[in-house]
Amino acid sequence: MKESTISPGLLTVQRVVAIGVLFGIWQLIIASGTMPSMLPGVTQIFAGIGETIVSPLFWEALGKTLLAALTGWVLASVIGVILGLTIGSVRFLDRSSNILIDFGRSFPVLALMPVVIMLLGSNSIMEIVVVGLSCLWPVLVQTIYGARRQESAVADTVAVFRIPVMLRFRRVLLPSAMPFIATGVRISASIAILVAVGVEVISQAPGIGRQITLMQQAQRWDMAFAYLFFAGLVGWGIAALLQLGENRLLKWKRQNDD
Amino acid sequence: MTNSTLKAPAPAAVQPPARKPSNGSGKKLLTSTWLIVVVVAIWWFASANSTNFFIPSLQEILESLVRDLGNGVILGGALYSLTNLFVGLAIAAVLGIGGGLLFGELHWLRRIFDPIIHFFRSVPQAALVPMIIGVFGMGQGPKMGTIAFACMWPILLNTIDGVLGVEPTIRKFSKVYRIPRMLHFRRVVLPAALPQIMAGVRVALPIGITVMVVSEMFASIEGLGFFILNSSATFKVPETWAGALLVGVIGYLISILFVFVEKRVLRWYHASGAQ
Repeated sequence: MKESTISPGLLTVQRVVAIGVLFGIWQLIIASGTMPSMLPGVTQIFAGIGETIVSPLFWEALGKTLLAALTGWVLASVIGVILGLTIGSVRFLDRSSNILIDFGRSFPVLALMPVVIMLLGSNSIMEIVVVGLSCLWPVLVQTIYGARRQESAVADTVAVFRIPVMLRFRRVLLPSAMPFIATGVRISASIAILVAVGVEVISQAPGIGRQITLMQQAQRWDMAFAYLFFAGLVGWGIAALLQLGENRLLKWKRQNDD
Repeated sequence: MTNSTLKAPAPAAVQPPARKPSNGSGKKLLTSTWLIVVVVAIWWFASANSTNFFIPSLQEILESLVRDLGNGVILGGALYSLTNLFVGLAIAAVLGIGGGLLFGELHWLRRIFDPIIHFFRSVPQAALVPMIIGVFGMGQGPKMGTIAFACMWPILLNTIDGVLGVEPTIRKFSKVYRIPRMLHFRRVVLPAALPQIMAGVRVALPIGITVMVVSEMFASIEGLGFFILNSSATFKVPETWAGALLVGVIGYLISILFVFVEKRVLRWYHASGAQ
Protein backbone atom coordinates (compact mmCIF):
# COMPACT_ATOMS: atom_id res chain seq x y z
CA MET A 1 0.00 0.00 0.00
CA LYS A 2 3.00 2.28 -0.06
CA GLU A 3 2.90 4.85 -2.79
CA SER A 4 5.64 7.31 -2.09
CA THR A 5 5.64 8.82 -5.53
CA ILE A 6 5.05 12.33 -4.27
CA SER A 7 8.23 14.26 -3.58
CA PRO A 8 8.60 15.76 -0.10
CA GLY A 9 8.74 19.24 -1.59
CA LEU A 10 5.42 18.85 -3.33
CA LEU A 11 3.91 17.40 -0.17
CA THR A 12 4.99 20.44 1.81
CA VAL A 13 3.43 22.71 -0.79
CA GLN A 14 0.21 20.72 -0.65
CA ARG A 15 0.14 20.91 3.14
CA VAL A 16 0.70 24.65 3.13
CA VAL A 17 -2.09 25.00 0.58
CA ALA A 18 -4.38 22.89 2.76
CA ILE A 19 -3.70 25.11 5.76
CA GLY A 20 -4.30 28.13 3.55
CA VAL A 21 -7.62 26.69 2.42
CA LEU A 22 -8.67 26.13 6.05
CA PHE A 23 -7.80 29.72 6.90
CA GLY A 24 -9.73 30.84 3.82
CA ILE A 25 -12.81 28.93 4.97
CA TRP A 26 -12.43 30.48 8.41
CA GLN A 27 -12.22 33.95 6.90
CA LEU A 28 -15.27 33.26 4.74
CA ILE A 29 -17.27 32.13 7.76
CA ILE A 30 -16.29 35.31 9.61
CA ALA A 31 -17.09 37.46 6.60
CA SER A 32 -20.45 35.81 6.08
CA GLY A 33 -21.53 37.13 9.45
CA THR A 34 -23.28 33.94 10.50
CA MET A 35 -20.98 33.54 13.49
CA PRO A 36 -20.91 35.72 16.60
CA SER A 37 -18.99 38.88 15.82
CA MET A 38 -16.32 38.43 18.48
CA LEU A 39 -14.56 35.68 16.53
CA PRO A 40 -11.30 37.13 15.24
CA GLY A 41 -10.35 36.99 11.57
CA VAL A 42 -7.22 35.39 10.21
CA THR A 43 -5.13 38.55 10.29
CA GLN A 44 -6.18 39.27 13.85
CA ILE A 45 -5.24 35.75 14.91
CA PHE A 46 -1.81 36.14 13.33
CA ALA A 47 -1.37 39.51 14.98
CA GLY A 48 -2.40 37.94 18.28
CA ILE A 49 0.15 35.15 17.83
CA GLY A 50 2.82 37.73 17.08
CA GLU A 51 1.87 39.79 20.09
CA THR A 52 1.80 36.75 22.35
CA ILE A 53 5.18 35.44 21.40
CA VAL A 54 6.95 38.63 22.51
CA SER A 55 4.89 39.07 25.65
CA PRO A 56 6.69 38.10 28.88
CA LEU A 57 3.30 37.32 30.39
CA PHE A 58 2.88 34.46 27.95
CA TRP A 59 6.27 32.93 28.70
CA GLU A 60 5.64 33.21 32.41
CA ALA A 61 2.25 31.52 32.06
CA LEU A 62 3.74 28.83 29.85
CA GLY A 63 6.51 28.22 32.36
CA LYS A 64 4.06 27.86 35.21
CA THR A 65 1.83 25.45 33.30
CA LEU A 66 4.78 23.35 32.19
CA LEU A 67 6.32 23.28 35.64
CA ALA A 68 3.10 22.12 37.29
CA ALA A 69 2.47 19.56 34.56
CA LEU A 70 6.04 18.28 34.71
CA THR A 71 6.13 17.97 38.49
CA GLY A 72 2.82 16.15 38.66
CA TRP A 73 3.80 13.89 35.80
CA VAL A 74 7.18 12.93 37.27
CA LEU A 75 5.69 12.24 40.70
CA ALA A 76 2.89 10.17 39.20
CA SER A 77 5.31 8.23 37.00
CA VAL A 78 7.60 7.30 39.89
CA ILE A 79 4.74 6.32 42.18
CA GLY A 80 2.89 4.56 39.38
CA VAL A 81 5.88 2.45 38.35
CA ILE A 82 6.74 1.38 41.89
CA LEU A 83 3.13 0.56 42.75
CA GLY A 84 2.52 -1.08 39.39
CA LEU A 85 5.54 -3.38 39.59
CA THR A 86 4.54 -4.42 43.08
CA ILE A 87 0.91 -5.04 42.21
CA GLY A 88 1.64 -6.66 38.87
CA SER A 89 4.13 -9.16 40.21
CA VAL A 90 2.02 -10.34 43.15
CA ARG A 91 -1.02 -12.12 41.81
CA PHE A 92 -3.06 -11.74 44.98
CA LEU A 93 -2.59 -7.96 45.03
CA ASP A 94 -3.33 -7.81 41.33
CA ARG A 95 -6.68 -9.51 41.77
CA SER A 96 -7.60 -7.56 44.87
CA SER A 97 -6.85 -4.15 43.45
CA ASN A 98 -8.56 -4.72 40.11
CA ILE A 99 -11.88 -3.02 40.82
CA LEU A 100 -10.28 -0.21 42.77
CA ILE A 101 -7.92 0.60 39.90
CA ASP A 102 -10.70 0.37 37.33
CA PHE A 103 -12.68 2.78 39.43
CA GLY A 104 -9.76 5.14 39.87
CA ARG A 105 -8.86 5.31 36.24
CA SER A 106 -12.36 6.02 35.06
CA PHE A 107 -12.70 8.76 37.67
CA PRO A 108 -12.69 12.22 36.09
CA VAL A 109 -10.18 13.76 38.48
CA LEU A 110 -11.08 17.30 37.45
CA ALA A 111 -14.46 16.72 39.12
CA LEU A 112 -12.58 16.26 42.34
CA MET A 113 -10.92 19.64 41.99
CA PRO A 114 -13.27 21.69 44.17
CA VAL A 115 -12.60 19.20 46.96
CA VAL A 116 -8.85 19.48 46.46
CA ILE A 117 -9.14 23.26 46.37
CA MET A 118 -10.97 23.20 49.69
CA LEU A 119 -8.21 21.11 51.20
CA LEU A 120 -5.16 22.76 49.67
CA GLY A 121 -6.28 26.13 48.38
CA SER A 122 -6.16 27.46 44.84
CA ASN A 123 -2.42 27.28 44.23
CA SER A 124 0.22 25.40 42.31
CA ILE A 125 0.44 22.59 44.87
CA MET A 126 -3.24 21.90 44.29
CA GLU A 127 -2.57 21.91 40.55
CA ILE A 128 0.30 19.45 40.93
CA VAL A 129 -1.83 17.13 43.07
CA VAL A 130 -4.67 17.11 40.54
CA VAL A 131 -2.25 16.58 37.64
CA GLY A 132 -0.50 13.81 39.54
CA LEU A 133 -3.76 12.06 40.39
CA SER A 134 -4.75 12.11 36.72
CA CYS A 135 -1.37 10.93 35.44
CA LEU A 136 -1.06 8.11 37.93
CA TRP A 137 -3.59 5.76 36.33
CA PRO A 138 -2.20 5.26 32.83
CA VAL A 139 1.28 4.63 34.28
CA LEU A 140 -0.08 2.30 36.94
CA VAL A 141 -2.27 0.29 34.59
CA GLN A 142 0.41 -0.05 31.93
CA THR A 143 3.05 -1.03 34.47
CA ILE A 144 0.78 -3.70 35.89
CA TYR A 145 0.26 -5.12 32.39
CA GLY A 146 3.98 -5.08 31.85
CA ALA A 147 4.81 -6.76 35.16
CA ARG A 148 2.16 -9.43 34.57
CA ARG A 149 3.77 -10.58 31.39
CA GLN A 150 6.71 -12.08 33.21
CA GLU A 151 7.78 -15.23 31.40
CA SER A 152 7.69 -18.29 33.61
CA ALA A 153 11.21 -19.32 32.58
CA VAL A 154 12.54 -15.98 33.76
CA ALA A 155 10.55 -16.21 36.99
CA ASP A 156 11.92 -19.70 37.62
CA THR A 157 15.47 -18.57 36.97
CA VAL A 158 15.08 -15.72 39.40
CA ALA A 159 13.73 -18.10 42.02
CA VAL A 160 16.44 -20.71 41.48
CA PHE A 161 19.26 -18.21 41.76
CA ARG A 162 17.60 -16.56 44.74
CA ILE A 163 17.97 -13.14 43.24
CA PRO A 164 17.39 -10.55 45.99
CA VAL A 165 14.09 -8.71 45.80
CA MET A 166 15.53 -5.30 45.02
CA LEU A 167 17.83 -6.63 42.34
CA ARG A 168 14.95 -8.55 40.80
CA PHE A 169 12.88 -5.38 40.79
CA ARG A 170 15.56 -3.32 39.15
CA ARG A 171 17.16 -5.78 36.75
CA VAL A 172 14.37 -8.20 35.80
CA LEU A 173 10.93 -6.71 36.32
CA LEU A 174 11.68 -3.15 35.33
CA PRO A 175 13.37 -3.88 31.97
CA SER A 176 10.79 -6.46 30.94
CA ALA A 177 7.94 -4.11 31.77
CA MET A 178 9.71 -1.15 30.20
CA PRO A 179 7.89 -1.05 26.84
CA PHE A 180 4.57 -0.94 28.67
CA ILE A 181 5.78 1.62 31.17
CA ALA A 182 7.04 3.81 28.36
CA THR A 183 3.60 3.81 26.73
CA GLY A 184 1.93 4.68 30.02
CA VAL A 185 4.38 7.45 30.76
CA ARG A 186 3.89 8.87 27.26
CA ILE A 187 0.11 8.82 27.53
CA SER A 188 0.20 10.49 30.92
CA ALA A 189 2.45 13.27 29.63
CA SER A 190 -0.30 14.40 27.26
CA ILE A 191 -2.78 14.07 30.09
CA ALA A 192 -0.55 16.19 32.33
CA ILE A 193 -0.71 19.16 29.97
CA LEU A 194 -4.43 18.73 29.42
CA VAL A 195 -5.22 18.54 33.11
CA ALA A 196 -2.88 21.40 34.04
CA VAL A 197 -4.62 23.66 31.55
CA GLY A 198 -8.01 22.37 32.70
CA VAL A 199 -7.21 23.14 36.33
CA GLU A 200 -6.16 26.65 35.37
CA VAL A 201 -9.34 27.22 33.40
CA ILE A 202 -11.57 26.43 36.35
CA SER A 203 -9.51 27.64 39.29
CA GLN A 204 -7.39 30.70 39.91
CA ALA A 205 -4.11 28.85 39.44
CA PRO A 206 -1.82 30.83 37.14
CA GLY A 207 -0.82 29.53 33.71
CA ILE A 208 -1.94 29.21 30.09
CA GLY A 209 -5.46 28.07 30.96
CA ARG A 210 -5.93 31.01 33.30
CA GLN A 211 -4.68 33.37 30.61
CA ILE A 212 -7.18 32.02 28.10
CA THR A 213 -9.98 32.62 30.59
CA LEU A 214 -8.71 36.12 31.41
CA MET A 215 -8.31 37.07 27.75
CA GLN A 216 -11.78 35.80 27.01
CA GLN A 217 -13.22 37.83 29.88
CA ALA A 218 -11.32 40.89 28.66
CA GLN A 219 -12.82 40.36 25.18
CA ARG A 220 -9.36 39.93 23.68
CA TRP A 221 -10.41 37.06 21.44
CA ASP A 222 -7.38 37.30 19.19
CA MET A 223 -5.11 36.79 22.20
CA ALA A 224 -7.26 33.96 23.51
CA PHE A 225 -6.94 32.21 20.16
CA ALA A 226 -3.21 32.78 20.17
CA TYR A 227 -2.91 31.19 23.60
CA LEU A 228 -5.03 28.29 22.44
CA PHE A 229 -2.77 27.90 19.42
CA PHE A 230 0.33 27.77 21.60
CA ALA A 231 -1.33 25.34 23.98
CA GLY A 232 -1.90 23.03 21.04
CA LEU A 233 1.64 23.57 19.79
CA VAL A 234 3.12 22.68 23.17
CA GLY A 235 0.96 19.57 23.45
CA TRP A 236 1.99 18.52 19.98
CA GLY A 237 5.66 19.15 20.64
CA ILE A 238 5.61 17.12 23.84
CA ALA A 239 3.79 14.21 22.20
CA ALA A 240 6.25 14.17 19.30
CA LEU A 241 9.26 14.43 21.60
CA LEU A 242 8.11 11.57 23.80
CA GLN A 243 7.36 9.34 20.84
CA LEU A 244 10.88 10.00 19.64
CA GLY A 245 12.31 9.27 23.08
CA GLU A 246 10.31 6.07 23.38
CA ASN A 247 11.53 4.82 20.03
CA ARG A 248 15.15 5.57 21.00
CA LEU A 249 14.90 4.08 24.46
CA LEU A 250 13.25 0.89 23.30
CA LYS A 251 15.44 0.22 20.30
CA TRP A 252 16.53 -3.08 21.81
CA LYS A 253 12.92 -4.12 22.07
CA ARG A 254 12.16 -3.34 18.44
CA GLN A 255 15.19 -5.27 17.22
CA ASN A 256 14.10 -8.15 19.35
CA ASP A 257 10.72 -8.23 17.72
CA ASP A 258 11.97 -8.27 14.16
CA MET B 1 -2.32 5.84 22.55
CA THR B 2 -3.99 2.99 20.73
CA ASN B 3 -1.54 0.47 22.11
CA SER B 4 -2.85 0.59 25.60
CA THR B 5 -6.49 0.83 24.74
CA LEU B 6 -6.41 -2.20 22.55
CA LYS B 7 -4.95 -4.31 25.28
CA ALA B 8 -7.32 -3.04 27.88
CA PRO B 9 -10.23 -5.50 27.64
CA ALA B 10 -8.03 -8.60 27.83
CA PRO B 11 -8.23 -9.64 31.49
CA ALA B 12 -11.96 -9.25 31.95
CA ALA B 13 -12.76 -11.00 28.70
CA VAL B 14 -11.57 -14.38 29.88
CA GLN B 15 -14.54 -16.51 30.80
CA PRO B 16 -14.20 -19.21 33.42
CA PRO B 17 -14.09 -22.46 31.47
CA ALA B 18 -16.59 -24.41 33.53
CA ARG B 19 -18.86 -23.96 36.49
CA LYS B 20 -16.56 -24.50 39.44
CA PRO B 21 -17.89 -25.38 42.87
CA SER B 22 -19.35 -22.26 44.43
CA ASN B 23 -16.57 -22.23 47.00
CA GLY B 24 -14.05 -21.22 44.31
CA SER B 25 -16.08 -18.38 42.87
CA GLY B 26 -16.93 -17.16 46.36
CA LYS B 27 -13.26 -16.99 47.16
CA LYS B 28 -12.63 -15.18 43.91
CA LEU B 29 -15.31 -12.67 44.72
CA LEU B 30 -13.76 -12.16 48.12
CA THR B 31 -10.28 -11.60 46.66
CA SER B 32 -11.55 -9.00 44.27
CA THR B 33 -13.70 -7.09 46.75
CA TRP B 34 -12.01 -7.15 50.15
CA LEU B 35 -9.74 -4.20 49.39
CA ILE B 36 -12.66 -1.94 48.51
CA VAL B 37 -14.46 -2.89 51.69
CA VAL B 38 -11.31 -2.15 53.69
CA VAL B 39 -10.77 1.21 51.96
CA VAL B 40 -14.36 2.27 52.55
CA ALA B 41 -14.22 1.07 56.16
CA ILE B 42 -11.00 2.98 56.83
CA TRP B 43 -12.50 6.10 55.27
CA TRP B 44 -15.68 5.64 57.29
CA PHE B 45 -13.98 5.25 60.68
CA ALA B 46 -11.08 7.61 60.13
CA SER B 47 -13.42 10.42 59.11
CA ALA B 48 -16.13 9.61 61.66
CA ASN B 49 -14.87 12.05 64.26
CA SER B 50 -13.28 14.48 61.86
CA THR B 51 -13.12 18.00 63.24
CA ASN B 52 -11.78 19.44 60.02
CA PHE B 53 -14.56 21.43 58.42
CA PHE B 54 -13.37 20.50 54.93
CA ILE B 55 -13.20 16.77 55.60
CA PRO B 56 -16.71 15.67 56.55
CA SER B 57 -17.35 12.14 57.72
CA LEU B 58 -18.23 9.61 55.06
CA GLN B 59 -21.56 9.14 56.80
CA GLU B 60 -22.41 12.80 56.28
CA ILE B 61 -21.33 12.63 52.63
CA LEU B 62 -23.49 9.62 51.94
CA GLU B 63 -26.45 11.11 53.81
CA SER B 64 -26.34 14.28 51.74
CA LEU B 65 -25.95 12.19 48.60
CA VAL B 66 -29.01 10.11 49.42
CA ARG B 67 -30.99 13.23 50.38
CA ASP B 68 -30.17 15.10 47.17
CA LEU B 69 -30.73 12.00 45.08
CA GLY B 70 -34.14 11.69 46.72
CA ASN B 71 -35.26 15.27 46.16
CA GLY B 72 -34.21 15.27 42.54
CA VAL B 73 -31.53 17.96 42.72
CA ILE B 74 -28.81 15.62 41.56
CA LEU B 75 -30.98 13.63 39.22
CA GLY B 76 -31.92 16.72 37.22
CA GLY B 77 -28.28 17.75 37.02
CA ALA B 78 -27.16 14.29 36.02
CA LEU B 79 -29.77 14.14 33.29
CA TYR B 80 -28.58 17.48 31.92
CA SER B 81 -24.92 16.45 32.04
CA LEU B 82 -25.43 13.05 30.50
CA THR B 83 -27.55 14.46 27.69
CA ASN B 84 -24.69 16.80 26.83
CA LEU B 85 -22.21 13.97 27.04
CA PHE B 86 -24.07 11.53 24.84
CA VAL B 87 -25.15 14.02 22.20
CA GLY B 88 -21.57 15.30 22.06
CA LEU B 89 -20.20 11.78 21.80
CA ALA B 90 -22.69 10.87 19.08
CA ILE B 91 -21.67 13.89 17.01
CA ALA B 92 -18.01 13.05 17.60
CA ALA B 93 -18.58 9.45 16.54
CA VAL B 94 -20.34 10.42 13.32
CA LEU B 95 -17.70 12.98 12.37
CA GLY B 96 -14.79 10.90 13.58
CA ILE B 97 -15.83 7.67 11.87
CA GLY B 98 -16.93 9.44 8.70
CA GLY B 99 -13.75 11.46 8.49
CA GLY B 100 -11.66 8.46 9.46
CA LEU B 101 -13.09 6.34 6.65
CA LEU B 102 -12.43 9.15 4.21
CA PHE B 103 -8.87 9.84 5.35
CA GLY B 104 -8.12 6.15 5.67
CA GLU B 105 -9.20 5.40 2.11
CA LEU B 106 -7.71 8.45 0.42
CA HIS B 107 -4.00 8.30 1.00
CA TRP B 108 -3.17 11.59 -0.62
CA LEU B 109 -5.73 13.42 1.50
CA ARG B 110 -4.45 11.86 4.69
CA ARG B 111 -0.86 12.76 3.92
CA ILE B 112 -1.76 16.37 3.33
CA PHE B 113 -3.89 16.76 6.43
CA ASP B 114 -1.82 14.62 8.76
CA PRO B 115 -0.05 17.51 10.56
CA ILE B 116 -3.28 19.45 10.91
CA ILE B 117 -5.08 16.48 12.47
CA HIS B 118 -2.25 15.93 14.91
CA PHE B 119 -2.23 19.57 15.85
CA PHE B 120 -5.93 19.62 16.67
CA ARG B 121 -5.60 16.42 18.61
CA SER B 122 -2.94 18.04 20.77
CA VAL B 123 -4.96 21.12 21.73
CA PRO B 124 -5.76 20.69 25.44
CA GLN B 125 -9.47 20.01 25.33
CA ALA B 126 -10.19 21.92 28.50
CA ALA B 127 -8.72 25.08 26.98
CA LEU B 128 -11.50 25.01 24.41
CA VAL B 129 -14.11 25.44 27.10
CA PRO B 130 -13.67 29.18 27.77
CA MET B 131 -13.33 29.83 24.05
CA ILE B 132 -16.35 28.00 22.77
CA ILE B 133 -18.60 28.90 25.67
CA GLY B 134 -17.34 32.47 25.59
CA VAL B 135 -18.21 32.85 21.91
CA PHE B 136 -21.38 30.83 21.66
CA GLY B 137 -22.87 31.37 25.07
CA MET B 138 -23.78 29.30 28.08
CA GLY B 139 -26.47 27.14 26.52
CA GLN B 140 -26.50 23.43 26.06
CA GLY B 141 -25.44 23.50 22.41
CA PRO B 142 -21.96 24.96 22.93
CA LYS B 143 -21.29 22.42 25.67
CA MET B 144 -22.24 19.58 23.37
CA GLY B 145 -20.09 21.13 20.68
CA THR B 146 -17.08 21.32 22.97
CA ILE B 147 -17.51 17.70 24.00
CA ALA B 148 -17.93 16.67 20.36
CA PHE B 149 -14.81 18.54 19.29
CA ALA B 150 -12.71 17.09 22.10
CA CYS B 151 -13.92 13.52 21.56
CA MET B 152 -13.67 13.58 17.79
CA TRP B 153 -9.91 13.31 17.42
CA PRO B 154 -9.21 10.00 19.14
CA ILE B 155 -12.10 8.42 17.24
CA LEU B 156 -10.86 9.91 13.97
CA LEU B 157 -7.29 8.74 14.48
CA ASN B 158 -8.31 5.26 15.52
CA THR B 159 -10.68 4.92 12.59
CA ILE B 160 -7.87 5.87 10.22
CA ASP B 161 -5.68 3.24 11.87
CA GLY B 162 -8.45 0.69 11.55
CA VAL B 163 -9.07 1.43 7.89
CA LEU B 164 -5.36 1.15 7.14
CA GLY B 165 -5.33 -2.20 8.90
CA VAL B 166 -7.85 -3.81 6.54
CA GLU B 167 -6.30 -6.88 4.92
CA PRO B 168 -5.06 -6.03 1.42
CA THR B 169 -6.46 -9.32 0.15
CA ILE B 170 -9.94 -8.42 1.33
CA ARG B 171 -9.57 -5.07 -0.32
CA LYS B 172 -8.58 -6.72 -3.60
CA PHE B 173 -11.54 -9.08 -3.39
CA SER B 174 -13.88 -6.18 -2.95
CA LYS B 175 -12.32 -4.54 -5.98
CA VAL B 176 -12.34 -7.66 -8.15
CA TYR B 177 -16.01 -8.26 -7.47
CA ARG B 178 -16.71 -4.62 -8.17
CA ILE B 179 -18.51 -4.12 -4.90
CA PRO B 180 -20.23 -0.73 -5.14
CA ARG B 181 -18.44 2.01 -3.21
CA MET B 182 -21.09 2.51 -0.53
CA LEU B 183 -21.48 -1.20 0.02
CA HIS B 184 -17.71 -1.55 0.20
CA PHE B 185 -17.60 1.13 2.91
CA ARG B 186 -20.50 -0.26 4.86
CA ARG B 187 -19.90 -3.99 4.63
CA VAL B 188 -16.13 -4.32 4.18
CA VAL B 189 -14.18 -1.40 5.59
CA LEU B 190 -16.42 -0.42 8.48
CA PRO B 191 -16.66 -3.87 10.11
CA ALA B 192 -12.94 -4.46 9.63
CA ALA B 193 -12.13 -1.16 11.32
CA LEU B 194 -14.73 -1.59 14.05
CA PRO B 195 -12.44 -2.98 16.77
CA GLN B 196 -10.16 0.03 16.37
CA ILE B 197 -13.11 2.41 16.25
CA MET B 198 -14.45 1.01 19.51
CA ALA B 199 -11.02 1.46 21.07
CA GLY B 200 -11.13 5.08 19.93
CA VAL B 201 -14.53 5.64 21.49
CA ARG B 202 -13.16 4.12 24.66
CA VAL B 203 -10.38 6.69 24.72
CA ALA B 204 -12.89 9.43 23.96
CA LEU B 205 -15.24 8.52 26.83
CA PRO B 206 -13.17 9.80 29.77
CA ILE B 207 -12.19 12.85 27.72
CA GLY B 208 -15.86 13.55 27.16
CA ILE B 209 -16.70 13.18 30.85
CA THR B 210 -13.85 15.49 31.80
CA VAL B 211 -14.88 18.17 29.30
CA MET B 212 -18.49 17.77 30.44
CA VAL B 213 -17.54 18.52 34.03
CA VAL B 214 -15.18 21.37 33.11
CA SER B 215 -17.76 23.01 30.87
CA GLU B 216 -20.29 22.98 33.69
CA MET B 217 -17.83 24.24 36.25
CA PHE B 218 -16.74 27.01 33.96
CA ALA B 219 -20.12 28.45 33.12
CA SER B 220 -23.43 26.84 33.85
CA ILE B 221 -26.41 26.94 36.09
CA GLU B 222 -27.18 23.27 35.69
CA GLY B 223 -25.50 19.91 35.65
CA LEU B 224 -23.26 17.84 37.88
CA GLY B 225 -20.25 20.10 37.48
CA PHE B 226 -22.35 23.05 38.54
CA PHE B 227 -23.69 21.10 41.49
CA ILE B 228 -20.16 20.39 42.70
CA LEU B 229 -18.87 23.90 42.17
CA ASN B 230 -21.96 25.54 43.62
CA SER B 231 -21.83 23.37 46.73
CA SER B 232 -18.19 24.27 47.29
CA ALA B 233 -18.86 27.97 46.67
CA THR B 234 -21.62 27.95 49.28
CA PHE B 235 -19.49 25.88 51.69
CA LYS B 236 -21.77 22.88 51.55
CA VAL B 237 -18.80 20.62 52.04
CA PRO B 238 -20.50 17.21 52.26
CA GLU B 239 -22.43 18.00 49.08
CA THR B 240 -19.21 18.88 47.28
CA TRP B 241 -17.68 15.55 48.23
CA ALA B 242 -20.89 13.75 47.36
CA GLY B 243 -21.03 15.36 43.91
CA ALA B 244 -17.42 14.52 43.13
CA LEU B 245 -17.93 10.96 44.31
CA LEU B 246 -21.06 10.63 42.21
CA VAL B 247 -19.31 11.83 39.05
CA GLY B 248 -16.64 9.22 39.72
CA VAL B 249 -19.23 6.48 40.11
CA ILE B 250 -20.98 7.61 36.93
CA GLY B 251 -17.68 7.59 35.07
CA TYR B 252 -17.03 4.07 36.31
CA LEU B 253 -20.50 2.83 35.42
CA ILE B 254 -20.29 4.29 31.93
CA SER B 255 -16.96 2.59 31.33
CA ILE B 256 -18.34 -0.74 32.54
CA LEU B 257 -21.38 -0.30 30.35
CA PHE B 258 -19.17 0.47 27.40
CA VAL B 259 -17.05 -2.64 27.89
CA PHE B 260 -20.29 -4.63 27.93
CA VAL B 261 -21.54 -3.02 24.71
CA GLU B 262 -18.15 -3.39 23.09
CA LYS B 263 -18.11 -7.09 23.86
CA ARG B 264 -21.50 -7.55 22.28
CA VAL B 265 -20.76 -5.50 19.21
CA LEU B 266 -17.42 -7.19 18.66
CA ARG B 267 -18.56 -10.67 19.54
CA TRP B 268 -17.82 -11.93 16.04
CA TYR B 269 -14.35 -10.43 16.31
CA HIS B 270 -13.50 -12.05 19.61
CA ALA B 271 -15.05 -15.31 18.42
CA SER B 272 -12.89 -15.33 15.33
CA GLY B 273 -9.82 -15.14 17.55
CA ALA B 274 -8.45 -12.50 15.23
CA GLN B 275 -6.82 -10.55 18.01
